[in-house]
This record gives sequence, C-alpha cells and structure tokens, in this order.
Amino acid sequence: MLQVIVNGVALGAAYALLALGFVLILNATGAVNFAQGDLVMAGGLLVVAASMVWPVPAIVLLPLVLGLMALLGLALSLLAYFPLKSQPPVAVFISTIAVGIMLQNTANALFGAEPRAGPPLLTAGLVELGPVTVSRQALAIIAVAALLIVVQHVLFRHTRLGRVLRATAQDREMAEALGIRVNTVIAGTFAFAAAYAGAAGLLLSNTFFVTPSDGSNYILKAYIAVVIGGWGSVVGALCGAMVIALFEVVFPSLPLVLPGLASLPGASWLFSQTMATILLYVVLLAVLVVRPQGLFGETVQRRA
Amino acid sequence: MIAALHQAAARHGMAVPLIVGAVLLVLWPTAFSTAYDLRVFTLAGIYALLVIGYQFVFGHAGALALTQGAFFGLGAYVTGILGARYGQGFVVTFPLSIVVPILLAAVVASPVLRLDTHYFALATLGVAQVLLLVALLAEPLTGGANGIPGVPGVELLGTPVPRGLPLAGFVWAWVILGALVARQLLRGLYGTAFHVMRDNPMLAACLGLDTGRLRLAAFLLSAAYAGAAGSLFVHTIRVVSPEALEFHVMVAVLAMAVVGGRTRIAGAILGAFLLVHLPEWFRVFEKSYLIAYGAILLAMIVFAPDGLIGRLERWFPPAPAPLPEPEPLPKRHPIQGEGPLLALQGVVKSFGGVRAVAGVSLVVRRHEILGLIGPNGSGKTTLINLITGLVRVDSGTIRFVGTPINGLRPDAIARRGLARSFQAATLVEGLTALDNVAVARATAEGVGMRRALRASWSDPSLARARRHAMTLLNALGAGDAASCEAGTLPHGVRRRVEIARALALQPALLLLDEPAAGLSETEQADLADRLAAVREAGTTLIVVEHNMPFLARLADRLVCLNEGKVIASGRPEDVRADPKVIEAYLGRAGVSS
Repeated sequence: MLQVIVNGVALGAAYALLALGFVLILNATGAVNFAQGDLVMAGGLLVVAASMVWPVPAIVLLPLVLGLMALLGLALSLLAYFPLKSQPPVAVFISTIAVGIMLQNTANALFGAEPRAGPPLLTAGLVELGPVTVSRQALAIIAVAALLIVVQHVLFRHTRLGRVLRATAQDREMAEALGIRVNTVIAGTFAFAAAYAGAAGLLLSNTFFVTPSDGSNYILKAYIAVVIGGWGSVVGALCGAMVIALFEVVFPSLPLVLPGLASLPGASWLFSQTMATILLYVVLLAVLVVRPQGLFGETVQRRA
Repeated sequence: MIAALHQAAARHGMAVPLIVGAVLLVLWPTAFSTAYDLRVFTLAGIYALLVIGYQFVFGHAGALALTQGAFFGLGAYVTGILGARYGQGFVVTFPLSIVVPILLAAVVASPVLRLDTHYFALATLGVAQVLLLVALLAEPLTGGANGIPGVPGVELLGTPVPRGLPLAGFVWAWVILGALVARQLLRGLYGTAFHVMRDNPMLAACLGLDTGRLRLAAFLLSAAYAGAAGSLFVHTIRVVSPEALEFHVMVAVLAMAVVGGRTRIAGAILGAFLLVHLPEWFRVFEKSYLIAYGAILLAMIVFAPDGLIGRLERWFPPAPAPLPEPEPLPKRHPIQGEGPLLALQGVVKSFGGVRAVAGVSLVVRRHEILGLIGPNGSGKTTLINLITGLVRVDSGTIRFVGTPINGLRPDAIARRGLARSFQAATLVEGLTALDNVAVARATAEGVGMRRALRASWSDPSLARARRHAMTLLNALGAGDAASCEAGTLPHGVRRRVEIARALALQPALLLLDEPAAGLSETEQADLADRLAAVREAGTTLIVVEHNMPFLARLADRLVCLNEGKVIASGRPEDVRADPKVIEAYLGRAGVSS
C-alpha cells in the first residue's frame, strides 16, 4: 500500500508543477494557458532527445530542459498572449490552443506518434525503506518536484521579483501605475510556467512515457486541480494536483490492497483506470454543485 | 467600377459580401467535385450546423460551454446504435438524435447553469469527459473503443440519398434550415435580450429578464443542433466511434466560432468551412500540415479577434436604419394591492463585519418623490440594491403594495413594477441608445422563443418596442441620440437614456441612484423638470442624491441615512436644517461653527 501511495505522491508532485505554472499564468494575465499540457509533453520529448545525444541520468539534463523550456515559454507569450492582451480571455484560450496544436504536430513530425520513454532521474531500481520497497524513480521525482516548489515559494515570497509578480497578479493596472514593467513580468511568468511544465514532463517521461498527443490529458488535469483548489490559489492548486494523482493511482490498485474487492463480480471493470477517471469527474461535478467556488474558495478577485 | 462597389457597399452594408460568399459556397462543390472534395464539403456542412448551434450558448448567452462536442457525440451514438443495431432509418434516428441530447442538457442544466465562467466551463467539460468514458466502457452497447460500423446511409421515402453531391446537398439543406431558424429566433427582441444578458446579466435581471431561462433556452438549442449534426455525421461516415466524443471536436467547434464570429450565422458557416478545409489545403506541406493549420488558426485569432465576419462588418458598416415614428406606450395596468406603495420594516444587511444597513424602516407613499440622502457609505445604494433584489436582506421585510418582495429574484421584482437606474449609468455599449431602451419592453411584449419563431419577415415586437422607446427618448430629450451606439454617448445623454430605459418598464416605483451626478447645472434643472413630469404621469420616485439644490426643488420628502440608519425624515427644509443631518455631513465642527 505504501508503495502505491508513494507512486501516487510522485505523480501528484509532477501534476503539481504543471498546475503551478497554470495558476501563475492565470494570476498574472487572467487567461487560461491551454498549451500548458503540451508544454509538459514538449519537456518530456526534449529530455528524450537530449538523452539520445548524451546518455546521462535525467537529473543532469534538468537545467538544460528548464532553460530551453523557459525560452519556449517566452516564445509562447510573444505569439499567443501579447498580441491579444487587450482582448477577452477566451481569445487567449484559443490562441494557446493553436500553439498547442503546433507543438503537438511538430512533436509528431519529429518523433512520430509512438510513446517514448525518457531516462530515469538517477538510476532505475528499488529502494528498501524498512519493511517496504519503493521505486527509486518515484522517490527522486518527489524530491526534485519538492525542491522546485520550494524554490518557487522562496522566489515569490522573499525576493523583490516575487513581490513584483504578486503585485501584477493582484492588480495589473495599479502595478503598471507604480512603475512595474508589467510586460516583462508577464513574459517572465510564461517562461517560469513553461520551465516548470517542462520539468513535469521530464519527471513523468520515464514512468509514463511521452506521446505527442499527451497534452490534452495533462491540461484537463491541471484545470481540475486549479478548480478543486480554488481558482487562482497556488496552494490550492498544489493540493488539488495531489488529490487527483492519489485518486488516479490508489483507486485502480484497491483490489491489490483489499483482496476482498478483487473477488467482486466485474472488479477488473470497476477498478480500471477509466472508471477512476469517470469517478474523478463525478466527484468534481459534485464538488462544483456543493461548493461552486471550489474547495478552498476563490482568491483572485474577478474584475467587473 | 471600384467607386460603384464602394457605393453599393455603403448602401447595403454586409449584403454584398454575404451574397458573394453564398454564391461562392454554391459554386465550390459544383466546380471542384471530386468525390473526396465533396466528402470534405459535406463534413464542413455538418460542422457549420454544429457551430450555429454552439453560437446560442457561447455567442448569444456568452457562456463558455464545453459540452457541444459531447452533445454531438451523443447524437452520433444515438444514430449509430439505432441505425446499425436496430436497423432504423433516418426518419427515426434523426429526431431521436436531437431529442436525447436535449434531455441530457435539461438534466445537467440545473446544477451546471448556475455556475460562473470557468467553473461552468470545467463542469461542462466534466460532463463531456464522463460521456466519452462511458462510451468506452459500455462496450456491449457502444462497441467500446472500436465503435459500431455499418450504419446505413440516409434514406428518404424509401430512396437512398447517394454519396457525393446529393448527400452534400442534403446536409447543406439542413444547414440552411438551421441557419434560418437561428436567424428567426435571434434577429428580434429576443436576440436583443440575449445581447443585454451576455453583456451584463445583472442589468438584464433588473430589466425583468429571466436570465436563467434565457441561458437554459440557449443551452437546449445548442444541444438540439449538436444532436442533429451528430446524426448527419454518422449517416455520412457510416460508422460511430468514440472519436466523435473526443475533446478535439469541442476544440474545433470553439475555434470555428471564434474564427468566424461568435454571434453571426455567416461566421459559423465561414469558420466551419475554413477550418474543415484548411488541413486539406495544407496537405501540400505533407507531414507538417497540421502545424500550418495551428499557425493559421493563431494568425486568424490575432488579426481578427472579433472573428472574420466582425472584421468584414467593419469594412462594410450597415447603413443607418431610419428612426422609428414615436408611438405612445399602452396604458399600464394599475398596481393591485393595499397599503403604502413600498414599506420597509427593520431591514438589516451586513457585509462581513460592516452593517451597511442597520435596521431601516420607512414608507413610500403613492405618487410622491422621496429623496434619499446621506454621506458616502451611509447605505443608500445598498438600500436600493436590497429593494430591487440585487442583494438579499439579512432580516426585516420589504413590502410592495402590501406583499413582501424580499427574497424574490431581481427580475421578478422588476416585473412587479419596480425599475431602477445605476450610479454608474449602465448601458450596453454595443447597442444603439434606441435598442438599449427598446429591450426593456421585452417583458411587456411577451418576448420568448415561440413568439420569435412565429414572427414574420421582421419582428413586430421589436418594431413596436422601438417606437415606444422613441417616445421615451423624446420625452427625456435624448431623441437625437437614438441611433448612436451607447458607447459613444456623452455622460449627460447616457443618464437620460438610462432613465428612459427604466421608464420603458412602466414602473409604479422608479428608483434613481444619483441621477444628477456629473451633470451640468442646466442639465440638472432640465432633468428635474423631466422627473417632475414623470411623477405627474403617475410614477412614484425614490431619488438617491448628494446634490441638495437638485433634490430640494424636486423631492416632497427627504430621508437621511447615516451609518445604515435613518436619522431624519420629513419635509426637505426641515431635514436640511436638522442638526443631526448637518453633523452627519459636516462632522461636529460643522455644527459648532
């Protein structure tokens, strides 16, 4: 059971990086970046490509991926956000979808549609932790993601840059009036979000493989995480990501843990990945019906 | 030649490009009719129908629903299952493919439609995803991931409609029918009501429009069109698979609506035609054709964010319509009921820890003008919002001719005969001044889907509402501005248009929130005269104002609020001289000096 939970937390940690980028862009611009899922895929394929040239553990490639993905994020903001910043948010929704289509099909043209595996973070294998064995990869994912989240937190809470970013998120016009270069801040947010999405892709590439069409699946997860956590809440998004991942991983393995369940008629049908996803959405709908403002409440003020 | 074109464009607005477009659309399949091209053209028609339907909810109701792909897929499965498993033909599959998505929409509407923006988007997306996964899981019925092959083609009166030009014509006939129905529904007062609702739902409610019902109607209409498109889709490709339910269908529909134009039927057709054909045209790029498709989509949204039809409309602006002849409004029914017109009893409202209204009791008599004064933050606007139902009272009662109205929705209160203006003169910027007023006649005209469908070539309700609106605009001295877009009006005129709109509801009680704010002294004097005339005509007024000279000549009685309580009421000169009132406005220093 513990092993299952560790795997769930590892997946959740990667989702958290994805949701984090999503929510940062949302707060800075008020717009949904629909290419966020495709950025995860891009990060995954980047590490696959890099490891073909340098066969080293993925952790060594992390700085490279972060840097290149930040550049991609800048490009995304220039192409899909800045030309439309005075338009209603749905315009950015579409423009990022367009960029996502381009990313997905570029990946398809370069790598083909088959799933590819990235290198393990350190080395493959299992670690014995007292009575249980867990995969080294899962632990490494958790460690790296936690480190990146801490870096983000420190950067945002304790530096001038962070204050500028938060000021922009709270009230863009006021920030501009105070002499903050809002455009630079927003471009930086896109770079940051893309870098973190890329890191998520790197972390997931070994266990879950990378396929060019992965993007839409990931963006849905990020969207759900952010709604569960309260639109605009960073902490909420991280929690939401964790909840989703734990559910996805733990639910299908329930019959392994509780053998009584496996003997139920139709257990393999009931405890499938598909059923887990259905339940996830049903729970989500229930959450929205009961608490229309998300579990943690709404933190961004909506502008009239 | 070019000059003649310019002249034609100036006189007929969009008629010229629309006719050119329609001719091209007819020439297209006949000129390039390889079997494959016709298939793509048929598919474009199916998407056009789907997008026309999507415009109801996304364009007109302004809600980012992500269910359109799901309703399409549901319609597709209904046709697939009935056609392939039960051997039913088009006359059975098609209507049922419309009915089933409508039923699903009706079921999910009540929890989902009350959600806001992104929550609504995600909830609808959740519904769509559940449907897709159910289709994958329910293998005995749906064929699982492989779907169901062998769906028969369209058969009408025993004759099959062959593939190629006949089938393309058949599908496009449905597009034309769908377009006509959509046009019929939305070109009149009903469409204007939607415009107000998507621009400002709160305002729409204060004009007596039931926004929940409008949203529901749009949602159900979208589902109906989607189901029809899904049925045609399966009859065309002869197989149904989970692909019809996948998210990329929804993305394509959304992109088509945005690229073409969110509220224009021509935009739906153009968007569907372009986005279905673009990948085909880009096949010359071979492997990277979808990259080029993404790039072109990005370019279109960047260069024409209002949609291509919106862009065209800027090049071919419509010729200004002649102003309608003013027509006096019909007599309104006298208000039934006993007791004072409005009576507040111990009304309390807190926001967080702040008691904005702390136990207000007051009575408004028939045909009086009551001035409501008080320093900033004394609770005047909150009181108006409580009376009109925008804010719910914590405790206390508000009675209108003896019946409690607190707890009613704003639109129900408005329909009972209470109309209001807003502190920040709130108009719908994209509509003319005339239509801003005319839309307030929607309830009186009994606007609705059935009436819209029954209307002949032009909507008589809209024409009549405009004639009434013209009368009111003239009465307030804003008749000259009738054909101007509200966004272009100067402040003083906006105020008058707003009051004319409130009067179009023929209210028994009119609540004005700082009507004189920002007006010059001449304008104020003029407004005071016109409001006095409104009272003469039998309407009671509550006027919230800071401006004492303005109120002094207008009001019969003043009520002064401070810190959420009534501190004085009575004749204007008495209230103005009351030491408590002076203290509230000027502080203690003002009293002693």
